[in-house]
Amino acid sequence: MGGIELALLGAALAVGLAGSGSAIGAGIAGQSAAGVVSEDPDKFGQTLLLQALPMTQGIYGLLTGLLIMIEIGIFAGETVALTPEQGRYMLMASLPIALVGFSSAIYQGVASAAAIGMIAKRPEEMGKAITFPAMVETFAVFAVLVSLLLLLRM
Amino acid sequence: MAIVEMKKVSLLGHRQERERIVDLLHRTGTVELVDVAESDIWPELEPLLELEQTSEAVARIESRLGEVRYCLDFFQRYFPVRKNFVQQLIGNKIEVTGDQFSGAADQFSEVSAVYTTCRDAEERLTKIRNEENRCRNMLEELRPWVGLSLPLEQIRSSVFVEMGLGAVPLLSYPAFKEALAARTADLYLEEVSADKDQIYLFYIFLAADLELVQPLFKEALVSPVTFPDTEGAAAEASLALEKKFAELVAQRGAIIAQVEEMLARRPQLMTLYDHLDNERAKNEAAANMARTQSSFVMEGWVPAPMLESLGKVLQDGTTTAVLVSRDPGPREETPILLHNRAPIGAYEVVTRLYSVPRRDEYDPTPFMAPFFFLFFGICLADVGYGITLSLLAFLLSRKIRLAGMGKQLVNLFFLGGIGSAVVGLLQGGYFGDLLDLPPLWFNPLDDPIRMLIICFILGLVHIYFGMGIQAYRSIKAGRALDALFDQGSWFVLINGLIMMALPFPALSAVARWAAVIGAASLVLTQGRRQKGLLRKIISGVGSLYNITSILGNVLSYSRLLALGLSSAVIASVINVLAMLMAGSIPGFLVMIPILVVGHFFNLMINVLGAYVHTSRLHYVEFFGLFFEGGGKAFRPFGLKTKFVDVVE
Repeated sequence: MGGIELALLGAALAVGLAGSGSAIGAGIAGQSAAGVVSEDPDKFGQTLLLQALPMTQGIYGLLTGLLIMIEIGIFAGETVALTPEQGRYMLMASLPIALVGFSSAIYQGVASAAAIGMIAKRPEEMGKAITFPAMVETFAVFAVLVSLLLLLRM
Repeated sequence: MAIVEMKKVSLLGHRQERERIVDLLHRTGTVELVDVAESDIWPELEPLLELEQTSEAVARIESRLGEVRYCLDFFQRYFPVRKNFVQQLIGNKIEVTGDQFSGAADQFSEVSAVYTTCRDAEERLTKIRNEENRCRNMLEELRPWVGLSLPLEQIRSSVFVEMGLGAVPLLSYPAFKEALAARTADLYLEEVSADKDQIYLFYIFLAADLELVQPLFKEALVSPVTFPDTEGAAAEASLALEKKFAELVAQRGAIIAQVEEMLARRPQLMTLYDHLDNERAKNEAAANMARTQSSFVMEGWVPAPMLESLGKVLQDGTTTAVLVSRDPGPREETPILLHNRAPIGAYEVVTRLYSVPRRDEYDPTPFMAPFFFLFFGICLADVGYGITLSLLAFLLSRKIRLAGMGKQLVNLFFLGGIGSAVVGLLQGGYFGDLLDLPPLWFNPLDDPIRMLIICFILGLVHIYFGMGIQAYRSIKAGRALDALFDQGSWFVLINGLIMMALPFPALSAVARWAAVIGAASLVLTQGRRQKGLLRKIISGVGSLYNITSILGNVLSYSRLLALGLSSAVIASVINVLAMLMAGSIPGFLVMIPILVVGHFFNLMINVLGAYVHTSRLHYVEFFGLFFEGGGKAFRPFGLKTKFVDVVE
């Protein structure tokens, strides 16, 4: 594979894996949210907020993917010549968010689902309910940070 | 002081003035009532006083409240009030004036009529629904027989002839037909209709053959069909039923229209509901009192700054009320009311969402506010986004009457917008790179490592600040040694380690000594509460392990950079995508919506992220150092409403 293909593989992994994780996580949280809202339609706003939490990983992945695409000049219309070494570097740089994004989004979805259950019983405890899923996201934040630092330093 | 000082008050009055006094307390809304029977003075008073019972008035109000609630529920069922997204988060109360509110009870007789009408309407609707169901079922039963021209009442067996209707399963039909033809002398068989499972049959044969034929019916699983109450052919009967059904639908429409006419009463009902609910609360307040033949006593908590005005209100409004106040005892748990001036007050919502402080703790709000402002700003870090967020928050606070936590949250976002505009100026973010203005300081996209180090330094300052507050608390409580051992040692050790890592050889000797002294002091002191030398040593050495958690806490502040970068990079990606379209007029028409929708989406996602992660940095990294919470919030006896806002 040439440099461009490797870089694109990196972009595809970042967007694809982190996005899949977010889709699963948001799906898990969404099931709980729908259950709560069927009992109390007024909780739609609160539960939607909690369902949105595991979606950030997908955005981090998208961010990393788009950054790679900008670097290799996809949007400029003309791709830059990339050596296989540079391509491999970009592929490696995309891995942190691809891997951690996938797993953390799923588990954040599980935590969000539990938090939604908490809101069903105690709607006044929104602050605490948001904090538990936010703990899980810490690792996705670290991963995207490393991915971004690697890409921006190129 | 951010936690408002509380006074315990006892209120004495004449029974004749009880209602008036309770009303005044309810109106001022500054007292949290306490059950006299749980008070520490009760054992002394018990022989003299008896506890007040809640009156029949409560039962009467409850029954009225039930009627109003029934009407509101009924309306909600047929004409639901839907809340939009914003209203779901912050509520949608209707506004009424004070006069309308206090006058609501006078209209109870009118409302009673509404109740009767609702009751009646619901009864009739239920009847109609049952009738509709019956019609629908009957039509369903008749459908297969519509093709049969014989009037249904004429299908009867006689002495000589067996005549009837039946549904035969498709599978057994051919065999059944054959056998039937073979065993009867004379047979009329009409296949009226068929569906995917069954064939619907009309049959006539001689009664003499009945004994021979009966087993065939059983074998083929023929289910007999009868229409005992129907006259005329199936088609005619269906038409009549359909007509009746249409009539029922019209009747229901008429009843619902009648209900809709009463819908104008809904605001009045809502007002009355809240009014009655507050009246009930006033009457139930009596449950907290004790009385003699002609006097009563009640107890409660009053915030010290409001004590004087409460005393004045009681003095002016009554002739017998006596208010006695005292300071709370050292072990008494007082309710906690937070009070911080604007703009710090906005950040109370962050504290309250975590927990209200205990009486012996500091309110963390004023310590937290500047950090929250700064961290939120770094997470969003864009002039355009900041101004948009502040504007949105401003418009929201203008458009909707907000109170309490909702108001504080909107203010917090308003301030957060300002913070991110300031940080955006420093870092040169204007909707990402839409405006290419140079940063006042530097752009983290150009030098992310520099920004990362700044985040770590901010984190360290934040953590030191929290440790400082805890040290100050210990010193204030006369435990200066605790402060020295628990916070001082860590401070020396961490600073020593940091200096060792810095590339200054001149400092390295000092740094090494600082680290060693800090670590030694931790090993020697952290086991001081354990018994036995071995345990002391193990806890002391074990405490050094906490260095990893402190390191982890500092690293956690790198999220500030990550969130700032992600908002900036997504913004510039949106700009890149939009610019791809630029160059022609149709392209321009596509470009504008991409920019508007894209940036709005990015703003919402990043505001959520900034709020969540800044809160988390405070809850986990900062509060853990000096704040536990677990206090009981001050809940004054006063106006509480579900549907209406009373405005003067």
